[in-house]
Amino acid sequence: MTNHWNDIANSDCVLVMGSNPAKNHPIGFKWVLKAMERGATLICVDPLITRTARKAHVYAPLRSGTDIAFLGGMIKHVIENKLYFEEYVREYTNASFLVSPDFKTPGDNNGVFSGLQGTQTEQGFVDGKYDKTTWSYQKDEKGVPKKDPTLQDPNCVFQLLKRHFSRYDLEMVSRITGTPKEKLLAVYQAYAKTGVPDKAGTVLYAMGWTQHTVGVQNIRAMSILQLLLGNMGMAGGGINAMRGESNVQGSTDHGLLFHIYPGYLKAVKASLPGFKDYLTANTPVFADPMSANWWQNYPKYAASFLREMYGPDVPLDQAYQYLPKIDDGVDYSWMTIFDQLYQGKLTGFFAWGQNPACSGPNANKTREGLKKLDWLVNVNIFDNETASFWQGPGMNPKEIKTEVFMLPCAASYEKEGSLSNSGRWMQWRYKASNPPGSALPDADIINALYAKVKKLYAKEKGPKADPIVNLSWNYGPKDDKGNVKHVDPHMVAKSINGYFLQDKVINGRLYSKGTLVPMFASLQDDGSTSSGNWLYCGSYTGSGNMSARRAKEDPSGLGLYPGWAWAWPVNRRIIYNRASVDKNGNPWAPAKAVITWRNGAWVGDVPDGPWPPLAAGAASRYPFIMQADGVGHIFGPGLNDGPFPEHYEPTESPLDKNPLSPQQVNPAVKRWDRVEATATMNACAISDTRFPIVCSTYRVTEHWQTGVMTRWQPWLVEMEPAMFVEMGEDLAALKQIKNGDVVTVKSIRGEVDAVAVVTARVQAFTINGKTVHQIGIPYHYGWVTSAERRYNVNDKKPELFTFGDSANLVTPNIGDANTMIPESKCFMVDVVRKG
Amino acid sequence: MDEMAILIDVSKCTACRSCQVACKNWNQLKAEKTTNRGSHENPPDLSSSTWNRIRFHEAIKDGRIDLLFINERCRHCAEPPCVAAAEDVPGAIIKDPAGPVVITEKAKQLNAQDIRDACPFDIPRFDETGQIFKCTMCADRVLNGLKPACVQACSTGALSFGPKPAMLALAEKSMKALGESATLYPSEDYNVLWVLPEAPETYNLAKAPDMKGTHYAGRTRKSTGLLASLMDVFRSA
Repeated sequence: MTNHWNDIANSDCVLVMGSNPAKNHPIGFKWVLKAMERGATLICVDPLITRTARKAHVYAPLRSGTDIAFLGGMIKHVIENKLYFEEYVREYTNASFLVSPDFKTPGDNNGVFSGLQGTQTEQGFVDGKYDKTTWSYQKDEKGVPKKDPTLQDPNCVFQLLKRHFSRYDLEMVSRITGTPKEKLLAVYQAYAKTGVPDKAGTVLYAMGWTQHTVGVQNIRAMSILQLLLGNMGMAGGGINAMRGESNVQGSTDHGLLFHIYPGYLKAVKASLPGFKDYLTANTPVFADPMSANWWQNYPKYAASFLREMYGPDVPLDQAYQYLPKIDDGVDYSWMTIFDQLYQGKLTGFFAWGQNPACSGPNANKTREGLKKLDWLVNVNIFDNETASFWQGPGMNPKEIKTEVFMLPCAASYEKEGSLSNSGRWMQWRYKASNPPGSALPDADIINALYAKVKKLYAKEKGPKADPIVNLSWNYGPKDDKGNVKHVDPHMVAKSINGYFLQDKVINGRLYSKGTLVPMFASLQDDGSTSSGNWLYCGSYTGSGNMSARRAKEDPSGLGLYPGWAWAWPVNRRIIYNRASVDKNGNPWAPAKAVITWRNGAWVGDVPDGPWPPLAAGAASRYPFIMQADGVGHIFGPGLNDGPFPEHYEPTESPLDKNPLSPQQVNPAVKRWDRVEATATMNACAISDTRFPIVCSTYRVTEHWQTGVMTRWQPWLVEMEPAMFVEMGEDLAALKQIKNGDVVTVKSIRGEVDAVAVVTARVQAFTINGKTVHQIGIPYHYGWVTSAERRYNVNDKKPELFTFGDSANLVTPNIGDANTMIPESKCFMVDVVRKG
Repeated sequence: MDEMAILIDVSKCTACRSCQVACKNWNQLKAEKTTNRGSHENPPDLSSSTWNRIRFHEAIKDGRIDLLFINERCRHCAEPPCVAAAEDVPGAIIKDPAGPVVITEKAKQLNAQDIRDACPFDIPRFDETGQIFKCTMCADRVLNGLKPACVQACSTGALSFGPKPAMLALAEKSMKALGESATLYPSEDYNVLWVLPEAPETYNLAKAPDMKGTHYAGRTRKSTGLLASLMDVFRSA
């Protein structure tokens, strides 16, 4: 989140789209209720009438996978009715920037942007890749982008935006989304009210926006709206993703994904031979000195990270050489891994705190793939469909050679450490009880593994030995062999924060060797500091463990709670907050002032850059400091599939043709269904009359993710014991399905049984003149806790059995063009009554 | 101790069912084997091990979907018919002036079905030993200065707990926000109160019986300092 949970209560208008917080973030939802008590409008846009919709002042239905059409219509509405916050747009965004005259938008270019190379088919381009040369600014002789502050030049971003979204009229949007025009208008009008300077609207989204082949562009569409309406940096504004796990924010911050290192540093590419090459490639340069271009500090963070990994005695370039390299242009994300698995290219696999046999798309592919491993290690709290894949439905253990290890680990309350919530608040947790039996915290399991691997490498040597053996690994007290005896979370947290590795004088002040670095502004590029994650620098300092603080004072009255835990970066609670003031430092919304310039200083939240307001001239900086050009990006040239969002149909769609353009599906998406060798396993239902119903996946309050933890908890199973499918009364009548019947949901890839929940909350759509039915299924179930499975003598049985297997048996392995997150929210199925 | 009450503002409930689980957790009640009968409502009824459950009300009204989630549990009547029905076994069912209506070990001596039948809201349930069960208003917590477990767990503030006059005032405020058709259910003569957006019949809720002219009217209950110790006996049984 750019803002945070409590801040939602400050909002004038809460838009819930691509999510259902009343059901899936019930505690977080109370902040929405508080906002409503203070007079905020709640808008909910969802294919189904959800519990959030029920509370909303304005509800609009939309077909899964058409959010860009919906939001595109809102962008058009805001522009044409001049509801945008003009000064904000002109001064704080790239709306005035001039773009290359060779840049073409889809309306003028057969549904794609300029620069696409790909294979032409009847349904448009596939296997496409963009040459982004034309997606660039016109620059002056100094290299600074040319601008038209009147926003009139036909090549300025604003006019290009207007032109691009002029195609998203109410008629077209309604055809695509199935939303009645009056409901579109009701949403647009209500939300656009936040375009005035002293009103702020917020958006709460989750997987309903991200799990699409256009997921990132969904969020881009909303980001454009928030910039047009002047809602970024404001109390009650922002772009607010509601994360789905208590520490998934922490996991992405600390670089769990293949393409990033902790602090969102870039993973090392094989084509960058030396540390200097890596820094040059990743350190942005921008010619306008008014842009803080904060990532220009990249070398400090990268050098400090290397120091944390390898200590002060390994030269920086050597430490860089130790890091694993990714090949240019190769994707190493989930679906690629499981494709490799399916093709038998992996020897071993750690399924660590996860259940891929249920959690990844196209579960049959994953389950088949697991059979091909020599060994599998599952680190988890309970048995699950991955650890026990070999005795799942259709499996013959005698034919499976995989050696499977189950390592029991501690649950979150059985160990000490921090969690980072959606609002970037790092909150320390104490240990409440001991883990049972031989279960250990994950860190201690990793530590034990490391000690063994290190010993083997020290003995056997080899090209990968030094990078392993030379890790500094200062994560706990060491024995005389140099191995960490047990992991101390405080030492880990301090390593993340970082230390001065030698005496250093900064701004006349001496920091002696061994001191904790107080903030990332003090990190150095010369190897004199270490920091495991620059974003968290300042979280554990000489003043103590900031994340363990629990001060309840809130001087601003906005719910900032500066003394409660610690937020990154530098305890700033609302980021880009310098956009919440005018050029004199006066807040646009004085009643909800995030920061104010008063008597030569900022008061309120930690300002997003200490510089004086823009009226101070050269001493100031533009507000969007993490963008190289210092402004919010209405035009976003860095993505794989376009600088503006464009509606494309989901890969599996009820429509043969995209009503908007000749381009059916996002051209930049990787299409495994087009790889001949594995075409059957990766099949997609393209215009396949066997699968006429749109299906989405979602969640219930009572179960979590694939149910690995919750399906063993009888009080939860009691409430939601079975895999179900929600469908409308008309579809049920058509299929002769009664409420409570067991049915089979089938896609081209697989099938899963479910209990039919027939409800008026699910209604059919009219899409491009055609009736389209939509249904929804939860993905919490798996065969391990069912009554029908085979139980061996030592297999644990749950106190209460569940019914049904994973929703992912039917989902497609096709993902977003930028993130590869699977398109679990809209794919095509059929539903038939069983027996 | 003041007379206390639980207020349930149905308009704020999102059916997270934390209250349903909190009750199970605090009272260590066994989970029931259930099936999905085409509804998210489970278990399908109160029982000896389910003392609070959420009912899912879904209806189309004026072309709009009305979704409402209602706690189903003991109303803790000011004049409990179950107490009157149990009068032959003193101390079997006790109304404490603080509010809770509590069933003790002695209730095994009663005819459980008679007790269930006496309740206008059909709340009490019994097991094979003949022991009778229902929501205790967490008397063990309340009499020790804590909130009932359900109220503690509620994520939206739909459940409130406090001195009865304060809860009535809160109810008044909520009803005003909901509009003219909002009602207080069953009436002021209970220690668990619901604010409903509409009349109880809309939600298939049993109406409060008219107590006037019955032999329940006018009875008062004396404070039983014995209650807490009887609760202990009951809980350790």
